[in-house]
Amino acid sequence: MTRRKFIHKLIKAGSHSYCVLGIAYCVYGIASLFSRNTHHARRTTKFVRALRLKKYPGSLRPLRDIHKQSKWSG
Amino acid sequence: MCLIEPGQSGECRVRINIDGVLRTVVYGFPCSLNIDPIEKKPLFHFLPGTGVLSIATVGCNLHCLNCQNWEISQANPEDSQAVFCPPERLVSLCRESRCLSLAYTYTDPIIYYEYTYDTAKLARQANIRNVLVTAGYINKEPWEKLLKYVDAANIDLKGITDDFYVRICSATLKPVQDALLVAKASGILVEVTNLIIPTLNDKPEQIRELSRWVKANLGGETPLHFSGFTPKYKMQHLPPTPLKTLEIAREIAISEGLDYVYIGNVRSKEGENTYCPGCKSLLIERKGYFILQNRLKDGHCPDCGREIYGVWK
Ligand code: SF4
Repeated sequence: MTRRKFIHKLIKAGSHSYCVLGIAYCVYGIASLFSRNTHHARRTTKFVRALRLKKYPGSLRPLRDIHKQSKWSG
Repeated sequence: MCLIEPGQSGECRVRINIDGVLRTVVYGFPCSLNIDPIEKKPLFHFLPGTGVLSIATVGCNLHCLNCQNWEISQANPEDSQAVFCPPERLVSLCRESRCLSLAYTYTDPIIYYEYTYDTAKLARQANIRNVLVTAGYINKEPWEKLLKYVDAANIDLKGITDDFYVRICSATLKPVQDALLVAKASGILVEVTNLIIPTLNDKPEQIRELSRWVKANLGGETPLHFSGFTPKYKMQHLPPTPLKTLEIAREIAISEGLDYVYIGNVRSKEGENTYCPGCKSLLIERKGYFILQNRLKDGHCPDCGREIYGVWK
């Protein structure tokens, strides 16, 4: 699927989304960049509420045999 | 850090700005769901010999040039297939398959944080343990919130210089060190993995510095795994890590006062076993992901009675 199509489906799916109760993680923000470079800037971390989609815009497959060990590391 | 334009995703590929609102695409949609031995994470001091239901979604907030799982960690959600598996389903799958724990692994649970958080909370209510396998690149506040529902974590300490993190992983060292400190202080079981890549982080002085940092900051009881690199992704020009390098690394870490030092991704006679730091007797004998014998008695050495760091039941 192309990214354009995916985003298009995502926008449609997003209009029916609802808020996740969990708290979104936050990568180091612009504020942390400033805090490294200036003496006065305060490093802030802020939570971002991520919205969960009701409908997956990508392709889904059925659950396979979960008893088979994964090929991935970790 | 990500400044995400409308219609674009961030570094992790799975968070997309739609009309100024951040959407997580992968909540409830793992790309991988399997039962693995807990030793594969690797966690050697946590319920040895048990199976763990392991999940991952696509994406990662790091871009390690050596990534062993790059087909999923560096994939876009539109390029891979996912399974519909909301938190409730994961918990019931875990129960049905009689796994004692759930692992959030393969890519990085930090990028599917909300999914991890909600599932871990539900799993805790169902008496299922939660295990994270992560690069630990996360801010303190969300990390502390998540750790309340976590029982054990294997956290990568990929190198001991900022330069290594910047050049190889598109990240920085300090947030990882901070995450390790917070995890240890939270009281969960912490094991550390260092993947040794020939010519990049395999010098004895680098190994010594890393071992000293672990000992001084996390304690000598913290298990440290030295894993062998295999040429993958954008590092196919480098050779696999020789067994000798891993053995030397283990010797250095032990000489620096670490009690439990392991060798991973290669067969090693002693590097896979757990020995008592007191009387040196063999406690857990492993071969690959298999436990050949476990002599621990209620988490203590049967010979000298010393308590062994870990979660054993
Ligand atoms: S943090 Fe782990 S999953 Fe992510 S790119 Fe690095 S090695 Fe791969």
